[in-house]
Amino acid sequence: MNKSLRKTTATGEAIPRVALVGNPNVGKSVIFGWLTGQYVTVSNYPGTTVEVAQGNSKVGGRRQVIVDTPGINNLIPMSEDERVTRDILLEDEDLKVIQVCDAKNLRRGLLITMQLAEMEKSAVLALNMADEAKERGITIDHYDLAQLLKIPVLSTIATRRKGLDGLGKGLEAGYIPQIRPVYNPEIEEGVKAIENLLPEKQKGKRALALMLLAGDESLKDWLHCRLSEKVIQKIEEICRILQSQHQEPLGFLINQKRLKAVDRILEEVFRKEKRSRGMAASALSNWTTHPVGGIPILLLVLYAMYKLVGDFGAGIGVDFLLNVVFGKAINPAVTRIVEHLFPWQFFQDFFVGPYGLVTMGLTYAIAIVLPIVGTFFFAFGLLEDSGYLPRLAVMVNRVFRAMGLSGKAVLPMVLGLGCDTMATLTARVLETKKERILVTLLLALGVPCSAQIGVMVGMFAGLSFKAIALWAFVVAGTMICVGFLASKLIPGERADFIMEIPPLRIPTLKNILIKTVARLEWFLKEAVPLFLLGTFILFALDRLSLLKALQNMAEPIVVGFLGLPAKATQALLLGFLRRDYGAAGLFVMAKAGELDSIQIVVSLVTITLFIPCVANFFMIIKERGLRQASAMAGFIFPFALLVGGGLNFLLRTLGVRL
Amino acid sequence: MNQAKGGTAAPGQKRFGRGGNDAEKKSEAHRREEILELLWTMRERGLFSVEEFLRMTEEEDAELILAKMEGDGWISICEGQVAFLEEGERRAEEIIRRHRLAERLLSEVFALDEKFMESSACQFEHVLNPQVLDSVCAFLGHPPICPHGKPIPRGPCCARFKREIEPLVRPLADLKLGEEGRIVFITPRSRSRLERLSSLGLIPGSVVRLAQKRPSFVLEIGETALALDEEIAREVYVKKA
Repeated sequence: MNKSLRKTTATGEAIPRVALVGNPNVGKSVIFGWLTGQYVTVSNYPGTTVEVAQGNSKVGGRRQVIVDTPGINNLIPMSEDERVTRDILLEDEDLKVIQVCDAKNLRRGLLITMQLAEMEKSAVLALNMADEAKERGITIDHYDLAQLLKIPVLSTIATRRKGLDGLGKGLEAGYIPQIRPVYNPEIEEGVKAIENLLPEKQKGKRALALMLLAGDESLKDWLHCRLSEKVIQKIEEICRILQSQHQEPLGFLINQKRLKAVDRILEEVFRKEKRSRGMAASALSNWTTHPVGGIPILLLVLYAMYKLVGDFGAGIGVDFLLNVVFGKAINPAVTRIVEHLFPWQFFQDFFVGPYGLVTMGLTYAIAIVLPIVGTFFFAFGLLEDSGYLPRLAVMVNRVFRAMGLSGKAVLPMVLGLGCDTMATLTARVLETKKERILVTLLLALGVPCSAQIGVMVGMFAGLSFKAIALWAFVVAGTMICVGFLASKLIPGERADFIMEIPPLRIPTLKNILIKTVARLEWFLKEAVPLFLLGTFILFALDRLSLLKALQNMAEPIVVGFLGLPAKATQALLLGFLRRDYGAAGLFVMAKAGELDSIQIVVSLVTITLFIPCVANFFMIIKERGLRQASAMAGFIFPFALLVGGGLNFLLRTLGVRL
Repeated sequence: MNQAKGGTAAPGQKRFGRGGNDAEKKSEAHRREEILELLWTMRERGLFSVEEFLRMTEEEDAELILAKMEGDGWISICEGQVAFLEEGERRAEEIIRRHRLAERLLSEVFALDEKFMESSACQFEHVLNPQVLDSVCAFLGHPPICPHGKPIPRGPCCARFKREIEPLVRPLADLKLGEEGRIVFITPRSRSRLERLSSLGLIPGSVVRLAQKRPSFVLEIGETALALDEEIAREVYVKKA
């Protein structure tokens, strides 16, 4: 992440940089959007902005690069996000800071201001969401606060563009905040000792010394670039001795002193009227995480999503694009052009044949998957911006616990319902390696993506409720069992579940649209080429008659073990490339009445448990390395067949009728 | 109360309390306490035989003291099986209570590691007097089990507490819904947890409100709502605000 950041700065070396820094969910991204007019992910879920966004701005009449940093609670990093932000602040000494703070959570904001002071960064403090604070009876004397901190303090409402004009002027002034808590005498001594060992010209030595004392492992690389082995050992010695004299971690003692200093400031500038919280939003907020009441709300949310994605996206959207746009316009036109340009059958098939790049690959990606994924991303954006996702995490924490995960894993898992490939990428937000492996595995194994769900919903139409429930039960049960066992096998710890729940907010349509468009852009750039590659592989296999050979090899398993007709082999083979291709093949067979209901359920279970698509597999390799990726694939495919075969055997022997 | 008077600790360990001759033999009272303690823990595991006891004990003249204790009417020995009589039961219960409360105090408040906790608790148990013991018990919120999960015998203070006194300090998880508490101390299993909690503003002195217990614990600190595992909510000790 750092490297990519440096690359972009290298192009504009003389341009001053400004970083937006603050706690999660305080509106940094909205201010970023205002400053730059550029896209960035705006989200309520702690940690979504792992990717750092940058953009040019002319705030204050000068050209500047604005960096939107991930939300942090502390500059002694506890997560990858915090580390990224800390590194951005550290790598550029002249970087100016706009600190965005949730006015009603001033205490947590000032904890960061204090650390900016120690890093000697010039800063402006924006007390954002001033309206929410006011609603809750909070008044902040920001003139006094500015006096105490010695930096400009603005009261802003970013979503309504209020108070933001002062940012440019505030930055120009270039004041460094002046609040420096005094720590315990022993810690102060340690700080001094370390300061003397740090490079002479280093800015913000005090902050670095405190980070080192707090046992910040992530600074190791930084140290090795700048200091000799001997000096580093000396520093480590100081830290070790000091820690051994204290029962509590030094990081905690430091935080404690900082918070005490913050509390002294708050006493002077922060007033809160006792006011009841009986607002409608807060009542709804309580219901969303209620152990009983939360469930109907969850079902309602799922139903609304299904209506939007299933009915609108997969129904109307696909219908229009597939039958009208591609069916009547693009495909016939392209076919005519290709036939005109290339007299050879081979090339014609390459573009417009049964496995043609246009007629299969592009049609599939644009006409079927795009509208489904697009509406899903829109719905997901709604969930994110309304603040519902963290509440969902509260609801599922216990179930996830059984699978060795914390509630935080809900973000990639829900996103997986849209696109597993993208979700695999976001598994990065999880804190422990164990969780990242588990989520990657479970996504690949059991979470059906929207494209696949879209196709399956069509097949469900002909099935009894019992059969659908059985499918859902087997898939969910398999996931929980595999998660449970894998969590026992994979070494490491489940991360603590400590998560902030932001207030429920009414999302702004514009933010959601911006986000949806950006995700679709990503989808088009990342996924569509893989669709085409997948189609090409199929085309090649078909041309080399390998498809037929593979089918012959796999047939005994499909017919004998899964109890499916021989024709289903092709669908399952396609499922290796994309499970929704496979599902689509099964869909055609089911429509033609070639599958009975047990066969439909068995084939659907089997294909749901396959790895979602080639793109997903490549993403696993990218994120987890070839070894882990092959191990997962080596487990998943045989296992999926095993579960399908087992289910077939059970249903047949018990004589279950669906 | 039969407190150990000037008893020394086991050989090889530093003497606790007043200085003295380390080579001095343990007093008989001290050894009786050790024996009662062993008999109690054996009983918890379903073991009663004298033979077993003699194999496990580290006390000198254990057989002789056992016989004396039988003579004093503390215990009864019948067909190689030991059983407590009323007096022995009362004394054993008290020493176990002292030991396990000491363990709990050392592990939670002073966060000593297990090995050190165990040896210190062995010394503590012989010197705690009943008043101090009851205060410790109240301070810890009348805990029902020791850090190893074994039951702590209830004392008179616990019975009183049930009727009238609320514990001074108790886990955040035990607050009623909507109740507020001021954090007194945090005893996390891992260091990073303590640092993370403090980054979010949870430090001793902060006031928190328990908003929800199920399906996850949710607490409010200032205007921030935090969801966390029950396990963590058990490690944060609060006093009524």
